[in-house]
Amino acid sequence: MKKYLSVFKISFQQEFVYRLNFIMWRVRNVLQIFLIFFLWNAVFSQPGAIVFGYDRAKILTYVFGILVLRAIVFSARTVDVSGEISSGDLTNYLLKPVSYFKYWFTRDLSSKVLNLGFATVETTILFLILKPVFFLQTNPTLVLAFVISIFLAVFLYFHILFVVNLVAFWTPESGWAFQFLFMVIIAEFLSGGIFPLDILPLAFQKAIYLLPFPYVLFFPLQVYLGKIATSAILVGLITSGLWLVILNLILRYLWNKGLRRYEAVGR
Amino acid sequence: MNVLFQRMAFMIFLVGKVLRFLMFFGFLFFLLKGTKNLAGYNLNQTIFFFLTFNFVDVVAQFLFREVYRFRPLVVNGGFDLVLTKPMSALFRVLMGGADVIDLATIPPLIFAIYWVGNLLHPTPLQLVLFLFLLVNGLLIATAFHIAVLGFGIITLEIDHTIMIYRDLSSLGRLPIDIYKEPLKSVLTFLVPVGIMVTLPAKALMGLVSPLGALASSLIGILGIILAVRFWKFALTKYASASS
Repeated sequence: MKKYLSVFKISFQQEFVYRLNFIMWRVRNVLQIFLIFFLWNAVFSQPGAIVFGYDRAKILTYVFGILVLRAIVFSARTVDVSGEISSGDLTNYLLKPVSYFKYWFTRDLSSKVLNLGFATVETTILFLILKPVFFLQTNPTLVLAFVISIFLAVFLYFHILFVVNLVAFWTPESGWAFQFLFMVIIAEFLSGGIFPLDILPLAFQKAIYLLPFPYVLFFPLQVYLGKIATSAILVGLITSGLWLVILNLILRYLWNKGLRRYEAVGR
Repeated sequence: MNVLFQRMAFMIFLVGKVLRFLMFFGFLFFLLKGTKNLAGYNLNQTIFFFLTFNFVDVVAQFLFREVYRFRPLVVNGGFDLVLTKPMSALFRVLMGGADVIDLATIPPLIFAIYWVGNLLHPTPLQLVLFLFLLVNGLLIATAFHIAVLGFGIITLEIDHTIMIYRDLSSLGRLPIDIYKEPLKSVLTFLVPVGIMVTLPAKALMGLVSPLGALASSLIGILGIILAVRFWKFALTKYASASS
């Protein structure tokens, strides 16, 4: 446990090595929120309008919720795993008495803490500038379910990201390409990071709900906004858990297969 | 084997870019089906704004992809070799490596613009103004990329600067009329994303006068002049430190 605490501290300090990079990354997050915020602001320009089951307060809460949840769920250093596999740096870790998964999960946590800190400040500033109406969930059961769904989302995202990175065992040159396709495009859209998924036709929604992606952003926010029934929340949490088990099995299978293929090229 | 991996990476990137386009397109389509209009624009008009943005964005990425590879040149001193060659250094680092992935997406995009543009029934004058302002938009995009290069020499920071440019220009995915003041003015005059991508589409809808188009072109020309001056200034700060 102590060694992972050290990893956490070192990783946290490393984030400050490239300060300008980090600040620019945060600026980008804020800019992306502008488009979504003003888009929905324009859609809900008529007072009392209800579109796709959202009123103005709920949709703007969704937009701000995305900013915070992205910091918690999407902030991750695990993106570097494929690079380590293709450069042969993975060997360094295989020789050390550390669990490679725990090592990266710890690094992810340090990134999440830092990003969450910044996201909180940004949200406060944006809140003061834009003065959006905000929906505050007061039902303790829903708040508890929301917190549980976020925990599950963090683990789910870690597994998805790790699995995608392990592709580098087989195609070392295409690691970034796979990340671009699965994490930047597919996960971003299908998680509800760009728009709430319930504006799509029901058939699309049902299909998307079979995948793990909506459970990393969209589902937790739906729980917070109280847009789904208690039974559906339970089903969602169970599905998240099931996906976690499935992804964990896939991750271990690919890891074992990949290690046998690993040639430490470049070492 | 390497060629195979490169081809696979090419295909994955292409699929990713097409998917991103289709997903945002689908989002707009379903959104406007439900709301009927966005800031006073109907479905076809909103989609035309989106297509025009994509055209300027994709063409700029296709032509100026080398900008994304500029940082290592400055950091490792390889830029010295560019400067010593009998070729414009700006041209080399700006347009020295076109992106084939983006090239592949341009023809279908032009077809989509033609198709949706036709549904808006433009007059010949509106069409001319649209094309004129589209060229002006590309001129502004060029100015942005030159400025990013200059900034890269001075600060060694390229990756995030270019991505911030992309995020800012992405605000033009939708008509800038949706933004409130002062952001709207910033996007029109300070960072002229509105002139770059929104105005051409508005011209096709008959919402821009010839005089307005002419005034906008002045911003494009001024942008290029300022960007080239900034580039020349940045060159005087190049230390060639790593060579």
